[in-house]
Amino acid sequence: MSDDEKKKSGFFQAVKEFVYGVAAHDSARFALKTRASMEHLFILITMGDMLGVPILPPYYSLRLLPYVVPQISTWKRRMLREKDLTDSLA
Amino acid sequence: MVPISLTKIFEKYPDRRYIMFGGKGGLGKTTFSAATAYYLAKQGKRVLVFSVDPQASLSDIFQKDIFGKGPTEIMPNLYAQEIDADQRVKEYQQEIRQKILDMYGMDKIPEEIESYIQAAAAEPAMEESAIFDEVVDIVVKGGFDYYIYDLVPLGHALYYLSMASVYDEWIGKITGLRQQMREYDQVAAVMRHEKDAEEDAILNELLYIKERINKSSGILTDKERTAFFFVVTAEEMVINDTLKAAGLFAKFDVPLSGYIVNRVLPEELKKQQIPEYLKNRLTMQDHYLKVIDDTFKNEILAYVPEMERDVTGLRMIEKLAERMFD
Repeated sequence: MSDDEKKKSGFFQAVKEFVYGVAAHDSARFALKTRASMEHLFILITMGDMLGVPILPPYYSLRLLPYVVPQISTWKRRMLREKDLTDSLA
Repeated sequence: MVPISLTKIFEKYPDRRYIMFGGKGGLGKTTFSAATAYYLAKQGKRVLVFSVDPQASLSDIFQKDIFGKGPTEIMPNLYAQEIDADQRVKEYQQEIRQKILDMYGMDKIPEEIESYIQAAAAEPAMEESAIFDEVVDIVVKGGFDYYIYDLVPLGHALYYLSMASVYDEWIGKITGLRQQMREYDQVAAVMRHEKDAEEDAILNELLYIKERINKSSGILTDKERTAFFFVVTAEEMVINDTLKAAGLFAKFDVPLSGYIVNRVLPEELKKQQIPEYLKNRLTMQDHYLKVIDDTFKNEILAYVPEMERDVTGLRMIEKLAERMFD
């Protein structure tokens, strides 16, 4: 790649990122945030008995357990923490 | 009333390969399961009779310890199996632990997770679920012409059925949520110009569970391949309970194939010198046999006499099978 081409592609990359930042970043962030809330809802449904809310039969929730191991502690913190007004601003 | 014979039913519907006997506890479900297995095996069919009852008694009836040993040959073509639910749950727990260790390269299960695994296994529904799951394994594996389910008493069998439909519904809902989550993943991935979102292992797991549950409840409600027989005796309570259960089973779309009357005292006794006590039993029996006739009419498939001794061992099973399939 010549210097000229490098410059060109660097320029396009910058434009691309700029457009993404202006137009799509917020939507993408929103999609990911919604996805994260759903993840917590999902763990509540399947692993609810960890908090004393049994929903899915335990035989099958055990099957899913390995996949959610990393999320368990943040999920518990989120479910059990007290909520205040500033939460709705986030 | 002369019953349509049980033999004819088996000849008429050769596709019904999943045979079940239901009824109140202690009426002879296990005995009939064993005798039917014996009869079919003698006809040259490969038969597996297995128990879904945690308090199984196939070992007793075949006079051979088969508990937790997998399909065990009793005689040519006849195999019997008693599921060891406890053992199954333990292996399952270990499987889950191993999976976690492998997935995250841990050398020890985090305490919180370990206590969850143990608590989940202590749930009362765990044993039933484990048996349920093993039954799916047995059926999926194949290799036999006939599968005879030695069922649990009525209440449990109903629980077993309703469990399947509740599970199915639940898993359906959760799968829906998971699919929705995946859509969000993909939206975010597209917007950030990433390549496809990662495959969702949990979604695949859920779909697997759903398929297994469908397989099992699908068999229980398959009119082409399943025959469900009720065992009754000539007693008021038994008749009432059976009617109630038959109604509930019908609600779950279980195809009822007919009724078998067990423990019928021989008519000839009347002609002999018998004590008052036995006379009363016979009068009572006549009355309730008539009730059974009126209630179940042409769905009665066989009247099986009270045997001179309890049915254990192949000799007695053969004798009983001859009376069932005459």
